[in-house]
Amino acid sequence: MAATKNKSLQQFDTDDPNRIQDIGWTFKEVWRRTRGTVVVSINLITFFILWELVVIYGDINPLFLPKASEMFAELWVGLTTRAPEGAVFSGSILDHFLHSFNNLMFGLAIACLIGIPGGLLMGGNKYIESILSPYVWALASLPRIALVPLFILFLGFTTKMQVTIIVISAVFPIMINSWAGVKTTEKSLLAAARVFGANRVQLYVKVVLPYTLPFIISGIQQGIGRGLIGVVIAELFGGSNGLGYLIQRSADTFNTAMTFAVLLLLIVMSLSLINFTRWLEAYVAPWRNVNHI
Amino acid sequence: MNFLRHLAVKECGEQIGMTKNDPIIVATDLTIAYELHRERKKLVALQDISLAVDPGEFVVLVGPSGCGKTSFINAISGLVPKASGSVTVRGSEVTGPGPDRAMVFQDYALLPWRTVESNVRMPFEFQDLGISEAEKNKRVKECLELVDLTGFEKSFPYELSGGMKQRVGIARALITNPDILLADEPFAAIDAMTREAMQAEMERIVMETGQTCVFITHSIDEAILLGDRVIVISYRPGKIKEVVNVNFPRPRMSNSAVKTSKEYAELRDHIWNLVKDEASQTNRGE
Repeated sequence: MAATKNKSLQQFDTDDPNRIQDIGWTFKEVWRRTRGTVVVSINLITFFILWELVVIYGDINPLFLPKASEMFAELWVGLTTRAPEGAVFSGSILDHFLHSFNNLMFGLAIACLIGIPGGLLMGGNKYIESILSPYVWALASLPRIALVPLFILFLGFTTKMQVTIIVISAVFPIMINSWAGVKTTEKSLLAAARVFGANRVQLYVKVVLPYTLPFIISGIQQGIGRGLIGVVIAELFGGSNGLGYLIQRSADTFNTAMTFAVLLLLIVMSLSLINFTRWLEAYVAPWRNVNHI
Repeated sequence: MNFLRHLAVKECGEQIGMTKNDPIIVATDLTIAYELHRERKKLVALQDISLAVDPGEFVVLVGPSGCGKTSFINAISGLVPKASGSVTVRGSEVTGPGPDRAMVFQDYALLPWRTVESNVRMPFEFQDLGISEAEKNKRVKECLELVDLTGFEKSFPYELSGGMKQRVGIARALITNPDILLADEPFAAIDAMTREAMQAEMERIVMETGQTCVFITHSIDEAILLGDRVIVISYRPGKIKEVVNVNFPRPRMSNSAVKTSKEYAELRDHIWNLVKDEASQTNRGE
């Protein structure tokens, strides 16, 4: 088998297009492509089964650790039901999830609208940079949670306050990354563009911006992480809806299964968003990840 | 081949009413200095360089690291301002980059988000040379053919080997058909075997297009094999230490008699001694 394979590989000239051969969908190829997913699935299923067994046979107070199955049941019910019209309080996870998710997306959008142009301007103009950078570093280094009481004072227990906290959490990684992207644009690329006649505008549009794009995306990726912290903090501190509030509420009412269900949902949401931006980064800048392929 | 070269030289000379013997690049008492802000000092990189390059000539600069070779080439390209003296190209003072001069970079300087084709086409996007779209496409095809990259139009630079990347860099430099080709250690990052092939390629291209070439290298062999004149530059501040004429017939790369000849060995020895003195000064200075 191996011998015939080698023989067939040797028969091609260097320029023969047939030397690139189609492997096709052999069992080995399917396994190579799916083994990652299969291993992760088995790993997670084992984890949840162990969790279930530990709770059942380990004589653990369900107040502290619910059964995995109870958590999933709570998650399923919470995601498939919604509160009736005009209800004062919703016990539906979906309602709270949508509230948090919408806030997060809205906050991230505003953070991008401020952070990306801000970062690009700071990178492109040294006067703007020297004027703005002390404030950017000051706010970026301040633990954002310290600002929550102030925003509650300014805006009350409102959605506006929650979104503001998300924005202030997410804007700085986005801004600082965009700034760094412009600053670290390879000098030789700039020199090449200038030698071949690029003016200032062309230099920015055709060299600096494309170079900075992957930096901006990894800024957004960090912004998502920070923004999620902002979501939960804002809702824990003040408000009567959102996943953060639901965690607080379910823990207060000893509904631990619900608390765990919400935590699981947060993990899934966070990982999905971050993986999406990873994919996006690899998609727009394949040259940066060439060693990982 | 020599005929082609002669023709090209004659043509560009006649267009502006010059004879073919007028030098195309003239540097007169050129001094270049950099400001070191942190130390409140001015570093003179290159001092009182006077040099005239004839059309179609291949001039190679050698010298220790930090002697200002790159500054010289950047002054011709218009990237670096002069402290004093002058550089003229075809009689007019260099004030900035222009389409008559193109450059090949040591680290290729290809835009990683663009395909080979799009990288080669880049100079057309930045400067309006009054060329039709069809003509541009034709030029791109010709240049890729010239550097032997046909079939790789849609590849991205990160998919190519070092030698291939530099061929893209050379094609990009040739696309506007510049009179002067500047090359800043173009093969320094390329492995020895590919390097030799690239040198042969460079010789062939310059012979075919008849371009004037100013070339920086650290390799004395490269200097002798490619250059009509080798200019040895001394350590900081850079001055011309000696100009060595190289009179082997072309093509030299494919002619093994050149490399094995006695003159070659003597020339190599001579230049090596000149550079060695300077290199040892570098070590003392740092």
